[in-house]
Amino acid sequence: MSYIYAVSRLRGMENHILDSAFFSRLIDSAGIDEALKALGETSYSQWLTGSANFDKAIDSEILATCEELEKFVPDKELLTIFRLPYDFHNVKVLLKGLFKVRGGDTEGRRYDLLSKLGTIDTEELTNAIETEEYGFLPYGLTDVIPQCWQLWDSTKNAQAVELLLDHQMFKAMLNVAESLKMPDVIQWVKFKIDAENLRSAVRLARMKYDSSKALPFFHDGGTIRADDMARLLNEPQETWSRILSYTDIGSVLGALNEQSDMKAALSDVSKALDDYLMKVLERAKYSMDSPANVLLYLLTKEAEARNMRVALVCVAGGLDREFGRRLLK
Amino acid sequence: MLGLSLALFGAALAAALAGIGSAIGIGVAGGAAAGVMTEDPNKFGSCLILQALPGTQGIYGLLIAFFVLNKLGLLGGAGAVDLTWNQGLQILASCLPIAVVGWYSAIWQGKTSAASIQMISKKPEAMGKAIILPAMVETYAVLALLTSILMLMGVQVG
Repeated sequence: MSYIYAVSRLRGMENHILDSAFFSRLIDSAGIDEALKALGETSYSQWLTGSANFDKAIDSEILATCEELEKFVPDKELLTIFRLPYDFHNVKVLLKGLFKVRGGDTEGRRYDLLSKLGTIDTEELTNAIETEEYGFLPYGLTDVIPQCWQLWDSTKNAQAVELLLDHQMFKAMLNVAESLKMPDVIQWVKFKIDAENLRSAVRLARMKYDSSKALPFFHDGGTIRADDMARLLNEPQETWSRILSYTDIGSVLGALNEQSDMKAALSDVSKALDDYLMKVLERAKYSMDSPANVLLYLLTKEAEARNMRVALVCVAGGLDREFGRRLLK
Repeated sequence: MLGLSLALFGAALAAALAGIGSAIGIGVAGGAAAGVMTEDPNKFGSCLILQALPGTQGIYGLLIAFFVLNKLGLLGGAGAVDLTWNQGLQILASCLPIAVVGWYSAIWQGKTSAASIQMISKKPEAMGKAIILPAMVETYAVLALLTSILMLMGVQVG
């Protein structure tokens, strides 16, 4: 299927992506009203109905983008790869709510945290999980949700349940990518798994976690095997970039070493990994018909929404502008 | 009769293959133009110029077909000239440069035009550069046209 029309249209849509100068102006606004006035010139304005609900407006903009792309992107599964984490986020929110309810907290349900960006309708998902009828749920959720309950009943460990769901999410993402048979997209999903594993490794190393018990924290399917990731914990962090030099992602750690060594804050590593994942996709910019351009656009739009949220929260909460600027991507 | 048939086959190849290439090339560029214009209809003028570029190969093929038909005396009602199979084969060979090069170059020019259309979608001020890139591909279609003309002029008939 040709992506020439889709990619050309995305090139046109990219012209409307808000740039860093706009966010800089937004973050310098005197108050939320002035910031929202600045938003009036953007596509976000159509969703704004008041100063209190800019969060919903941002979600609506992303959802509208997904719906627009669904109309002309030949393979809808590309959008699924982007939206799938939101489905798993919703499952986590619903399960955690039910865990609390079972623990006696009748107010435990947090429907307000559900995201409409998932591929499964939130009401259908809520009904399925609350009535324990998982039969129609996609992405292996039919099997993994009962496993989550079993795990919760035996351990009462919400983090372990989250980890189980994350394992399934990456497995499902890789399955969807492989069904598309698009090498760039498959590679990106594998790098995303590597990046997530590396983030976990840095986090565990900081906690001085026992490497022999670390394997369950790493996801399978990346270019670096999960047990190799777990073994990293036995090594000094300064040597990780050398150990991983045979992989592309090793260069990210190398850059960090040069700039601020491995003692850099976890947020620095996280930011570097996010930048790396974008750079992997940005190679598609040089192709006029690479399907990876669809993912690139969606992630760029997601980053824009994130920046918008940071800037508006900063302005509304009267937070330090320099702090907000540092959080912008 | 075999000579005439070979010569006509050559003319048909020149017109058909170069025409097919142009149709594909224009289609590819048209897809890109439609995508860009959905977001910005004001780019119609620029997109049209870039989309039209791969169309020239089809015209070159048609031109060679006319040359051949003229050489065979099939235009103007004077009646077909007598051709040996060897002469017919020479005319067929003369048609091949524009037929083959026209076919391939039009497809690749279409792809380059599509990339240029995407370029002007982001940088409308780069229209001049955007035209030059696909025009470079045109060079080889023109060379093939010249080769076909020179070869045809060298074939002695009648």
